[in-house]
Amino acid sequence: MKLYAGGHVTFYMPGRKHTLEISLSEPTPLREVLARVGIPLPEVALTAVNGELVEAETAIVSDSDQVRVFSAVNGG
Amino acid sequence: MYGTTAKILRVDLTNGTIETQTLSEDFYRMYPGGKALAGYILLTELPPHTEPFSPENVMVFANGLLTGAPVSTATRYVVSARSPLTGGYGESEAGGFWGPELKMAGWEAIVVKGKAPKPVYLWVNGDQAEIRPAEHLWGQMTAEVQESIRSELGDDKIRVLQIGPAGEKLVRFAGITNDLRHFNGRNGLGAVMGSKNLRAIAVRGNQRYQSLAYDAKTLMAIGGKLAKTVKENPLSWDLQERGTPGLVEPLNTGGILPTRNFRQGAFENVDEVKWEMYEKTLLTARRTCYACAVRCKREVAVEGRESPYGGPEYETVGAFGPNCGVSDLQAIAKANELCNAYMLDSISCGATIAFAMECFEHGLLTLEDTGGLDLRFGNAEAMLQVIELIGRREGIGDLLAEGCKRAAEKIGGDAPFFAMQVKGQELAMHEPRGKFNVGMGYAISEIGADHLVVAHDTAFAKPEAIQLKAAAPLGITQALPPRSLGEEKMEMFYILERWGSLEKVTGFCFFGPAPRSFIPPEDVLQSINAATGWNISMDEALTIGERATNLARLFNAREGFTRKDDTLPERLFTGLENGALQGQAIPRDEFEQSLTILYQKKGWDPQTGLPTPEKLRALGLEWAIDVVSSNQ
Repeated sequence: MKLYAGGHVTFYMPGRKHTLEISLSEPTPLREVLARVGIPLPEVALTAVNGELVEAETAIVSDSDQVRVFSAVNGG
Repeated sequence: MYGTTAKILRVDLTNGTIETQTLSEDFYRMYPGGKALAGYILLTELPPHTEPFSPENVMVFANGLLTGAPVSTATRYVVSARSPLTGGYGESEAGGFWGPELKMAGWEAIVVKGKAPKPVYLWVNGDQAEIRPAEHLWGQMTAEVQESIRSELGDDKIRVLQIGPAGEKLVRFAGITNDLRHFNGRNGLGAVMGSKNLRAIAVRGNQRYQSLAYDAKTLMAIGGKLAKTVKENPLSWDLQERGTPGLVEPLNTGGILPTRNFRQGAFENVDEVKWEMYEKTLLTARRTCYACAVRCKREVAVEGRESPYGGPEYETVGAFGPNCGVSDLQAIAKANELCNAYMLDSISCGATIAFAMECFEHGLLTLEDTGGLDLRFGNAEAMLQVIELIGRREGIGDLLAEGCKRAAEKIGGDAPFFAMQVKGQELAMHEPRGKFNVGMGYAISEIGADHLVVAHDTAFAKPEAIQLKAAAPLGITQALPPRSLGEEKMEMFYILERWGSLEKVTGFCFFGPAPRSFIPPEDVLQSINAATGWNISMDEALTIGERATNLARLFNAREGFTRKDDTLPERLFTGLENGALQGQAIPRDEFEQSLTILYQKKGWDPQTGLPTPEKLRALGLEWAIDVVSSNQ
């Protein structure tokens, strides 16, 4: 799957890169994927899988998915 | 007295006189700079009902207590006067280098009264100040004027604060810039400066803040520690990496990206205007404000050349992009340049053009009205032409230069429904139907719709999130949904508002202190105490912030503002047309009930929305009780 991190969750990505390719051999809970990457779940406020909003806590993702996670969007 | 120069420069442009006022420590501890000092001066020296463009209007340029201190993000100063956009207390903050330079020149504030018979600028060189002719600068764009002033004074390190042609033409949302990249954008204060024939204030100083501090060693240690922390904190790291334009895509995903004059919450062409496109097609470098390690400012190329005006912030991308239905990032960057050359507030300008686009699509404005411009949503070329017309007050621009509220009243029909404003000031690019405390801030702010009243709701939505944990020293520990109101949410608002107001008193940027960013609240207090030796507590700090807010509210009370003015545009009580929050609105009854709760927490009369005598006494503002009683 392709993982994109926006906002301050990018800070937790390997090398602080905003995009990461991850191989998944089977459908996997997103929370497990995020834990593997090192992104704390409380920092994920918005998650879109293939353009659809989902809950990061309950979503299941597959190898072909495009996943975009964002931190809480602050003003200013 | 430590931490302050304790001096105010007083300029009367009518008489051409310049005087110095020295502040006492007792006074300064009550009103320690920025919003508090400006509010006090306006309330005590500006006669009620003064016409904003009359010579009697008073302008205050006030540094915060810590402005210029060697602490990241402590760079900001306040400009204040009666606003020609709202008719109420006018205020706008900016960072950059001008405020610190003014402090280094030995001044906490400049107070300007009267009107010069001909265009002038003020030259402040350390403890010397003079009024100089500016007829040769009048009508020129801001980049030319900065170069001219530096050239004729023979010093390219002079910091120039100035208005542009829009301020000269009294555009009601004309702003003020310093160094061409930092803006007191809001509330039309550039037009007040223009009405005084004051084109610029050039400043040069050579003092260091450390020489003013009670404990310079500790202050330097805090500053050094914080500078290292910037890259270790996810929030400040992201501000450095992407800057504010990074907000575009997540806001869109959450359904709260203002689109087509706040009709919609998602933009179908978001990929064309999001950060990755900005980085790929516009970005040339990153810059910063005085002594700030965050470095959230962006440099960009426009039309194949380096722009002298810096890059568009999120607010500008939002206002001229999705909110005008425009997906051409180069056109948005050009809009940013035009605003900064004419010196228009890019938020109000973009929002007013979006309003005009909706009027045009509904037939309330015609091709005849627009001078043949096809002012539909998405027409970037027409948008750019209208910005110039506004800056020159020509054609349709003369109407729109009044701001969307006044323009809507003249257009009539459904136009007032399309005017997205509070108290006459246009909404910033934050959709309150997804962030109810932002809506409450828009409604209750003394300066009209302001997005910087409180840290936004989304920061406090999840338990264990770093922003919620960082807010614990303020007394905020419970996660609450962004789309919620009620008792607990208003308690959160009340705390955050006082903290935000303290930032505007002390000169901190919104992107400095937690919970929005990386500076722990205890380091804010330690910085104040190292600078002053006051040893203030969190309670006293929050009281300083609250006192400043009440001064602004008292100013508005005197001008006739009451609870009826603390409201929102009607559209926000209707559902969004698209996006993740499609169909969602702000619940009107719950909003009104929560406003009552908030007034009670603030010690304000729930019927009138004005401070009670008991509250004013508690804040040490008993001298101002008559202001409220004379309003009732």
